Amino acid sequence: MTGTMSGHMSEPVLTVENAAVHFRSRGGFLRKAGPALKAVDGVTLSIWPGETLGLVGESGCGKSTLANAILGLVPLAGGSITVAGREVKSSDAESLRAIRSDAQMVFQDPALSLNPRLTVGAAIGEPLLVRGLATGAALRDRVAALLKAVGLEADHASRFPHAFSGGQRQRIVIARALALQPKIVICDEPVSALDVSVRAQILNLLVDLQRDSGMSYLFVSHDLSVVRHIADRVAVMYLGRIVEIATMAVLFAKPRHPYSQALLLAAPEPDPVRQRAKTRRILDGELPSAANLPPGCAFNTRCPVATDICRKDVPRLMARTDGAMVACHHAEE
Amino acid sequence: MSGPVLEIERLRLEIDGAAVVDGLSLSVSEGEIVALVGESGCGKSLSALAVLRLLPEAVNLAGGRIMLEGRDLASLDLDAMAAVRGRDASIIFQEPTASLDPLMPVGEQIAEALTAHRIVPRRAALQRAREMLVSIGISDPDRRLAQYPFELSGGMCQRIMIAIALICGPRLLIADEPTTALDVTIQAQILHLIRQLVAERSTAVLLITHDMGVVADMADRVVVMYAGRVAESAAADALFKAPKHPYTALLLASIPHAALVPKSRLATIEGTVPRPSSHGSGCRFASRCPLVEDRCRREAPALVDHGAGHQAACWRSHDVGLLGARA
Repeated sequence: MTGTMSGHMSEPVLTVENAAVHFRSRGGFLRKAGPALKAVDGVTLSIWPGETLGLVGESGCGKSTLANAILGLVPLAGGSITVAGREVKSSDAESLRAIRSDAQMVFQDPALSLNPRLTVGAAIGEPLLVRGLATGAALRDRVAALLKAVGLEADHASRFPHAFSGGQRQRIVIARALALQPKIVICDEPVSALDVSVRAQILNLLVDLQRDSGMSYLFVSHDLSVVRHIADRVAVMYLGRIVEIATMAVLFAKPRHPYSQALLLAAPEPDPVRQRAKTRRILDGELPSAANLPPGCAFNTRCPVATDICRKDVPRLMARTDGAMVACHHAEE
Repeated sequence: MSGPVLEIERLRLEIDGAAVVDGLSLSVSEGEIVALVGESGCGKSLSALAVLRLLPEAVNLAGGRIMLEGRDLASLDLDAMAAVRGRDASIIFQEPTASLDPLMPVGEQIAEALTAHRIVPRRAALQRAREMLVSIGISDPDRRLAQYPFELSGGMCQRIMIAIALICGPRLLIADEPTTALDVTIQAQILHLIRQLVAERSTAVLLITHDMGVVADMADRVVVMYAGRVAESAAADALFKAPKHPYTALLLASIPHAALVPKSRLATIEGTVPRPSSHGSGCRFASRCPLVEDRCRREAPALVDHGAGHQAACWRSHDVGLLGARA
């Protein structure tokens, strides 16, 4: 799956159009409501069948909020999100129920994602049971098949989550996400809480499952080496906006947005020779607060090439000849 | 200065009589950065805490020597140890916000390191704190000195921790996962700062981390721990290029990196780390090792030197290349 924008016969599995999510601090008796915090501010992207889109950025950039909005867990302040042709309306329980058979989620901490009082079999079978898709022996068979698919044993179904290691628990969470045969799985930092050797097992599993079923992933991560390994295309977020979106190969070979460049340079390469060969250019300063965004390009306070226009006008995400989209006044072609 | 600043010899730490660190030896010289790496539970953080005698009560320092410039910290009493901490050897932790006192302005906290050791009186200490902030590149130092930790970002708090750790000019800095809680661009800032400061001051650094990227970026030498024992120890370049312990080789091969084909299979390590109470007489990696043979299960291999200070504890070191070294 190359995941290029052209040549797709089918419809995208996920379409995000100019989506915005705002959080507002509630006012009190003597306190006025604060300004809206624009966690996601006009994001547009799509994911095609069988494709993995990596979504990278630092804490507070809005990547998890966007993931939550896709599943209707937070309401949109503007724009629209469509999963498999159905619009996500966070206020409409019936529409959310329909969407969740097509879009499922895997979170960072498997320990927090599983009910400690539910057996593994009950947890994995619940989506099927709730929707009346399987009961009794058929349900047991389905659960056993799901456990096998994620590399666990059928007889693990009767045990409780505490009996499993972190990596095994993440496999259980993945099995549960697969129960309804979703078209897309939103993975929010799925391997960040795991030790490196276990991380590799889960990444291998995700790659295998995709190969077998053709489902898509939105893979949210702060770890660029992981994203480079698993993603077909990568979207880079900074303070609620996408600053660059390109195929994995193009982004890593030729990042154009100064923030993407800084991010790639900052991520240490697990190889001393390569790491020494990298240019060390350290980004100054820190992320401004999303509640108080600088005017113009949100990156202008830290950007090494910012000029006056960057402090006035928000740059639009513009397509380049190789298909990359970049939101920067100064990015080269 | 000749000889290492820190020399740990056959350190043994026990919980309920079971060894969680078993025979750790390592040394760190002036101006050198030695990384102690391994996965959770391998004993790396406990070893770091043991150096400053900050072990939790349940953990017993059961044997070995911890020589800091010729003095054995393992045998010091509490008062003598208190005089060492912060002055001769300091530590910074993963969670900078949790390491700072939330009720004290950060300037006072930096100055406290000096006044506690009666190096200078309070007023002069505050002045030194201000100079320290300037030297670590913090703009607007007067405002920062008066701020409380909650007013600062994680990256700024870690800078404050580094200022506290280094203001007395210790010979040894222990950095326990110093950037694990930070974003990657802030991590780059902090690692750069540590590298710069230790170069200026010739501080010896023991860096505890699980992140091979950080190791590659920072370390001169690397000590890999597995289940409480040293599996391998070598110069960083040699370790990454030609690991001589199967655990190191698999650990490196399990990390996605630039030279790999995307979505290709990553190496994995099957099974789980054995519990300290279940260690037998053999190699602790035997149950998960693809190169295992009978001898490995019976007899624990000693650390053997393969030249140029590259040591590995494996009966089959010469066959580790078969596991597919990295490009």
